[in-house]
Amino acid sequence: MSAMTLNKYQLIIMADDKQVVLERILQVTRYRGFLINGMNAEVNTGNNVATITMSVSSERPISLLIDQINKLIDIKGVKVDNSDVQIKQHSA
Amino acid sequence: MTKSKTLTGGALLFEVLQEHGVHHVFGYPGGAIMPIYDALYDSDVKHFLCRHEQGAAFSAVGYARAAGTVGVCLATSGPGATNLITGLADALADSIPVVAITGQVPMAAMGSDAFQEIDIFGLSLACTKHSFQVTDINELEKVLHQAFEIALEGRHGPVLVDIPKDIQLAEVTQRLDKLSHLKNKVKLPLADISKALDLLTHAKQPILYVGGGVGMANAVEEVRDFADKTGMPSVSTLKGLGAINPDNENHLGMLGMHGTKTANLAVQESDLLVVVGARFDDRVTGKLDEFAPNAKVIHFDIDTAEINKRRDADAAILGDLKGNLPLLTTELDIADWQQKLQQMNTDFAWRYDHPGDNIFAPAVLKTVSDLMPSNTCVTTDVGQHQMWAAQHMTFDDPSNFLTSGGMGTMGFGLPAAIGAQISRPHDTVIAVSGDGSIMMNVQELATIKRYQIPVKVVLIDNAKLGMVRQWQDLFFEGRLSETDLSDNPDFVMLAKAFDIKSQLITKKSEVKAAVEEMLDHDGPYLLQVKIDAAENVWPLVPPNTANDKMMESV
Ligand SMILES: Cc1ncc(C[n+]2csc(CCOP(=O)(O)OP(=O)(O)O)c2C)c(N)n1
Ligand SMILES: [Mg+2]
Repeated sequence: MSAMTLNKYQLIIMADDKQVVLERILQVTRYRGFLINGMNAEVNTGNNVATITMSVSSERPISLLIDQINKLIDIKGVKVDNSDVQIKQHSA
Repeated sequence: MTKSKTLTGGALLFEVLQEHGVHHVFGYPGGAIMPIYDALYDSDVKHFLCRHEQGAAFSAVGYARAAGTVGVCLATSGPGATNLITGLADALADSIPVVAITGQVPMAAMGSDAFQEIDIFGLSLACTKHSFQVTDINELEKVLHQAFEIALEGRHGPVLVDIPKDIQLAEVTQRLDKLSHLKNKVKLPLADISKALDLLTHAKQPILYVGGGVGMANAVEEVRDFADKTGMPSVSTLKGLGAINPDNENHLGMLGMHGTKTANLAVQESDLLVVVGARFDDRVTGKLDEFAPNAKVIHFDIDTAEINKRRDADAAILGDLKGNLPLLTTELDIADWQQKLQQMNTDFAWRYDHPGDNIFAPAVLKTVSDLMPSNTCVTTDVGQHQMWAAQHMTFDDPSNFLTSGGMGTMGFGLPAAIGAQISRPHDTVIAVSGDGSIMMNVQELATIKRYQIPVKVVLIDNAKLGMVRQWQDLFFEGRLSETDLSDNPDFVMLAKAFDIKSQLITKKSEVKAAVEEMLDHDGPYLLQVKIDAAENVWPLVPPNTANDKMMESV
């Protein structure tokens, strides 16, 4: 058993309101090694702006995910809401 | 303002391609892209029919890399589209601007598991920089312009545009007034120039670590100037080769897993790394925690996400290398360091005095390199021959060495050479391939035949998946699982089947004349070079090992 420190973060993402935008965010988040703990998305609203809030956890620094989400062409911006809430988790 | 002439979506595609200066495309037709191929029939854009969509994608990559422009490939829906994926993944890993156009089933059939329907838009998410699916004919023109803009903006990359058949057939009623422009995201300026200057002037043992970003930023001149004026010793990644002037006496060659002894030892000893357009790839760093353990880092990149990704930067300079690097140019007092490394360069120089009559692959590639005309473009496949080409050939520009770096894709070399030759008809193009790799896109010999593309293939034949065999010998107790290729086809006869002139050589004494004959030949040529199956690529830094603990023989 080795202890790894999972940090929990809340992200607020503003994006162009394209149908595919949720899929893009999910794909990048998983691929870059972040667990999604919860998500709320206001998409396909007809006003061109999608707002997605997402809580994620990972051992990896959140800047890594923010930079990668920011790189997505449809993304207007990403903010971390509460940083540095730590939870401990044990893995085999 | 609207232009009066109406046209179909398919015809519009070729108009937009031409507006972006595209005269050559690579592709393969099929049901769901027929309206586009019908429009092609009337277009001035020249299409090269490849014999597999993967070949088309790699030819587009080779075209883009050799000419520093966007490469374009076309494929039909379903299997045509999925066959592009490896090429797109390769382009993403190596940041190559490619626009891929796929046909899609008509909109009404989408989502019904229609014949040759695959969700290529969904599949593209992980292997493109960006992708579009056009569902409104009035969006098509804007999307196509955006595809080009995105492919070239910032860090380059592949963009896919999926176009349903009914959109290809639809009449365009409105044209755009002017090209649309992406809203550039406002990024925080990140430029620790004064900090970087401070680090630089205090460094005693600095190293310039040159990556593929230099060529893509069109900053070869600036990097050479920086290397000259600072006198800083430099090392190159696989993709950075050619950026530093080959005559620069402070260049130490390639670093990393198969890097030169001098380059790796120098990096390990350095107290400062000036990183230009490179990303601390695992094939470069070896064991990351032990990479350049005493070095501070100044990192230049266009991609924010590369800063602090694998190694923290002490100073980060984000943005266009061409403009930024000159800001750091200063004279340095590092004569002892230079001298020490120049001595190591001499002491550890490559040796070509190989015993026996059998052909020594490094020596063949050195001979090709010495005899090839200036501005020759070399492509490679993947394996031992690729590493030997990187080690023993010299390139005077990054666009003259095209190799699948990030993805390491076998099958890259031949179609990439085709693309390169089409983009640069007056330059010699040589594909250095392996007996395993060539078979991965061997069908492209038919493309060479059809268009009489004068690509020269140097086929390093060890009758093995040599690189895997080497690892099996070194790290898997010599258990040679599925790496024997001793029943390869007769490559000379194979070339003949495609009307390609060919020759097999097996002895050292034949090398020079054969290489000369190949280079003198006007048309395509395949030179099969039989080498000893047991040859290994040295030096080798074993996986997850620090770069100074390299193996130099068994
Ligand atoms: C598409 C693909 N499949 C598998 C591999 C794994 N691989 C890397 S090198 C290599 C052997 C290549 O053999 P060959 O082309 O004959 O080159 P050699 O190493 O013998 O010079 C293999 C199988 C790869 N890089 N790409
Ligand atoms: Mg081989």
